[in-house]
Amino acid sequence: MASERPGPPTYLGKPTISPFPAAPQTTMPFLSSGPVVGSEGTGYRANTPSGSNGPPMSSPPSTYASPNVGVHQRFPSQQYPAPVQQISNLRGPPAGQPVLPPPVLPSAQQVLPPPGSFRPQPQIPSMPMGSPPQSANLQPPRGIVPSSPLESSFSAPRSALQSSLHGYPSNQANLVSQVPPMQSPSFLAPQGGYVPPPPLAAPVGLSSREQMQHPGVGPPVGAMQNLVEEFQSLSVGSVPGSIDPGLDPKALPRPFEGDLMPNSIAKMYPLNCHSRYLRLTTNAIPNSQSLLSRWHFPLAAVIHPLAEAPDGEEVPIVNFGPTGIIRCRRCRTYVNPYITFTDGGRKWRCNICSLLNDVPGEYFAHLDATGRRIDNDQRPELTKGSVEFVAPTEYMVRPPMPPLYFFLIDVSVSAVRSGMLEVVAKTIKSSLDELPGFPRTQIGFLTFDSTLHFYNMKSSLSQPQMMVVSDLDDIFVPLPDDLLVNLSESRHVVDAFLDSLPSMFQENLNVESAFGPALKAAFMVMSQLGGKLLIFQSTLPSLGIGRLKLRGDDPRAYGTDKEHALRIPEDPLYKQMAADFSKYQIGVNVYAFSDKYTDIASLGTLAKYTGGQVCYYPGFQSSIHGEKLKYELARDLTRETAWEAVMRIRCGKGVRFTTYHGHFMLRSTDLLALPAVDCDKAFAMQLSLEDTLLTTQTVYFQVALLYTSSSGERRIRVHTAAAPVVTDLGEMYRQADTGAIVSLFSRLAIERTLSYKLEDARNSIQQRIVKALREYRNLYAVQHRLGGRMIYPGSLQFLLLYGLALCKSIPLRGGFADVQLDERCAAGYTMMTLPIAGLLKLLYPRLIRIDEYLQNASAKIDDFGKFSKSLPLTMQSLDSRGLYIYDDGFRFIMWFGKMLSSDIAVNLLGVDLSTFPDLSKVSLCELDNEMSRKLMAILKRFRASNPSYYQLPQLLRQGEQPREAFLLFANLLEDQNCGTCGYVDWMLQIHRQIQQSA
Amino acid sequence: MDWSILSWLLSFFILIALIGIIIFQLMCLADLEFDYINPYDSARRINSVVLPEFGTLGALCFLFLISGHWFMFILCLPYLYYNARMYMRRQHLVDVTEIFNMLNWEKKQRLVKLVYLIVLVFFTIFWMIWSVLDEDT
Repeated sequence: MASERPGPPTYLGKPTISPFPAAPQTTMPFLSSGPVVGSEGTGYRANTPSGSNGPPMSSPPSTYASPNVGVHQRFPSQQYPAPVQQISNLRGPPAGQPVLPPPVLPSAQQVLPPPGSFRPQPQIPSMPMGSPPQSANLQPPRGIVPSSPLESSFSAPRSALQSSLHGYPSNQANLVSQVPPMQSPSFLAPQGGYVPPPPLAAPVGLSSREQMQHPGVGPPVGAMQNLVEEFQSLSVGSVPGSIDPGLDPKALPRPFEGDLMPNSIAKMYPLNCHSRYLRLTTNAIPNSQSLLSRWHFPLAAVIHPLAEAPDGEEVPIVNFGPTGIIRCRRCRTYVNPYITFTDGGRKWRCNICSLLNDVPGEYFAHLDATGRRIDNDQRPELTKGSVEFVAPTEYMVRPPMPPLYFFLIDVSVSAVRSGMLEVVAKTIKSSLDELPGFPRTQIGFLTFDSTLHFYNMKSSLSQPQMMVVSDLDDIFVPLPDDLLVNLSESRHVVDAFLDSLPSMFQENLNVESAFGPALKAAFMVMSQLGGKLLIFQSTLPSLGIGRLKLRGDDPRAYGTDKEHALRIPEDPLYKQMAADFSKYQIGVNVYAFSDKYTDIASLGTLAKYTGGQVCYYPGFQSSIHGEKLKYELARDLTRETAWEAVMRIRCGKGVRFTTYHGHFMLRSTDLLALPAVDCDKAFAMQLSLEDTLLTTQTVYFQVALLYTSSSGERRIRVHTAAAPVVTDLGEMYRQADTGAIVSLFSRLAIERTLSYKLEDARNSIQQRIVKALREYRNLYAVQHRLGGRMIYPGSLQFLLLYGLALCKSIPLRGGFADVQLDERCAAGYTMMTLPIAGLLKLLYPRLIRIDEYLQNASAKIDDFGKFSKSLPLTMQSLDSRGLYIYDDGFRFIMWFGKMLSSDIAVNLLGVDLSTFPDLSKVSLCELDNEMSRKLMAILKRFRASNPSYYQLPQLLRQGEQPREAFLLFANLLEDQNCGTCGYVDWMLQIHRQIQQSA
Repeated sequence: MDWSILSWLLSFFILIALIGIIIFQLMCLADLEFDYINPYDSARRINSVVLPEFGTLGALCFLFLISGHWFMFILCLPYLYYNARMYMRRQHLVDVTEIFNMLNWEKKQRLVKLVYLIVLVFFTIFWMIWSVLDEDT
């Protein structure tokens, strides 16, 4: 079957990079004029033996009437046996594709007859008169008839007679089919139905109103077959006299699949590193500035250098030993699969700067007849896009540092009362065995309230010695060493300290926080070695340098030019300290716990420039949030960390990385300093074109992360990728990667909130989307007469929704009242580092109904996939008889419907919901019954899919205000809330804006 | 040698000093761009001369004011106002963490200042020669 599909056609003479198994398509150009039914799998095919690939066959279309087997259920006006076929009949639902009830996405497909097509008209004669396929619109091929009288719909009322006068007797027709609405672009393409219209058919243009209303996939009228894969469209014109917005909310695209990695590029360049490490916003680099300026999205790469690889796909480690690492002499590119060996293997040509380099004697190997090295298969650096080199001493400015953890812990009254101190001490103690880098690991502690407490942990002591420094103006370190000790030597002292820490400050009533002086002191202790500084802060810094004011959340500041000042650090000390930390290889992670204002904007700056992260637990209570803190702190301490790292990305001539977004500090124009980086951090960087015209066919990128592993080895992790250079804007859109674009948008928007209003940041997202779609529309709309429809590339079908989600995400949402300032800033810091998959999950969370599964006694956890259907994030998805889980990767919200059978709640929670218990205080734990165990298994499975964070379940009963509105309803982003529009309105709004100046 | 020539001469040297400071800052930025120095040193060097620059300009304006060169004083005012505004907003120092993102802006700003100062120098030389000739006649 596949072989008969008309495959993606050759586009501009270049091989189309298509995600589909490309079928032979050489016959494409000839296809046009015959009544060739390009589809198979229906009874139709038997009558048209030519298949779509055959040369123009003269099989008379008399076979028409038979084949179309009751498709178009939703087209009431379809009385005629029109030669249409249902795509799903042809192919069956693709694996993993949710087949939803048929919300009618008419997809159209036509074939362009080349001028001079020789199909004689009389060969299509026997169509019963007056039975035009209503859904099949006749349309002269593009470029032949200059314009269409039609404006609003895609029905092209061009009579067949007219077109036959042009000498194209059987111009294409549309195959309007029904397909599941959620299809990915790869699903659309190759259905090559081809339906010849009856030449003497009654006037066409009959496309019914229903049809106009249904969002369609593919160009409804128009040209070549390949266009179907080029864009999708939605009709948004409303029916006159109806209040219906003309958009079927059910049919809008929704990313239930989560993050879809681009796979076409991996097929085209199999030697590329996996796209979990590096993703481009479009896998087609424009060849000129003018082309780039028409691509209104950022041209950028999102890099996740230490992404966790599944078992069996770990990055291979290569040790060149005395040879030294093979690098290009001029551009310092590392050896990679794309270099070419010449001169019998004595020289190699750099793929980035094309310089010929000598192959060192020890690395020499002969070439075989095809020019490959004979040892190619044994060399991972020549076969794998991702590889790790062991770096010799030239790559060290000092001996590799040991993993070093320093804890700066607030012990003021709020920290003790909330239980934070106890959880932290216990977690650190339980993680001590798993700290990476045994036996070199170093550890140290400093606690503070209005004074600083240092701890001498010398291994000869049996108990730690505490030293109190109360002079905050002139900080000094009371001991030259022994504040940082080797963990394996001083283990018993550290244990004793952590055991006594909670009780030591149990009676502490001090409310002050000398945070700034403590920070300085920690810096002094750590500056010798660098390492990771973990800050636990539960009050606003109030003493000494770096004290912060209660800038609070002044509602009057919102909407004015001063608004952004709330989101940037108040005291320049924090930026200065961050720069110093970065200089001395100290990475900072900030844990903040207060329910009151703690100025995360200022504290987070420390993490921002040191490659760290901000974890915010508003209103921390150990009984509720203890688990979450425990998991996340333990992960922070035990995950693989790259120490004293620097990262650089190189790319071929003509392109240049200009701006970088994420948590790091730029040490030179293109060198990112990352004192401590781990597998949960991603970075984004934007490209610009230097030369006006790129002459190469391919642009190569190489990311190199030079770091010290926990084992004390200096290593270089190198990811290499190639991307084609294109001359065609359509190709850029076709190869666009929604995930990477959304990641860039979120970072740019959050950066924008630091110097402009929230409103401006949201508008800028919208404007960019509008501009890009308008440009895209100009590419296609005119020639396909898509007047009233909204068209967008199939690759970007979810972008609009993600754009809306971004505008409603916590950092950008609403105004003063919608989100607490601290929460906003913390979420902003988190989103700046999130890898793409996590970000997309956060933006469009999963909403799943689980009560049916729980009640089904026979269902096992492995069957859960069958029950778990992601639902649109709208109130309409919630049924008061159900139990739902909302999972955004950071928390679970469990919503108990009012009419949920009471035994479910009793089984799961141990309480009866009808007694109206305070669910915010009820915690979910495994009870001794099947249902509870099943629920726990579900949660465990969900958590396994996102191990970076611990998803704390928050329980919610329907009608429990105001928690319900605040926790759940504000996050149902397809609804109208927070003074912003819903999904349908958003689409209409964007559509209007596109139209305005289109 | 009367007071007028002396004041012109003095302001001429002050202007040369200012131009020197600006060129020094531009050089630091250019070095940074070509990776000759690291951002910490670059920012430290630039920041160490920012306040002297502002002070020198203040002195120049004061000199124009007391020597009665109203026209030159008014010509200097926009520059003085700009500096004062930057200082009030605490944006006068280069931010080491964002220096690369701000590089173009910082350079542009200093180039404009440089051109402005050169124009002032020409005016000063003109007035100086004028007053010398004036004295001779």
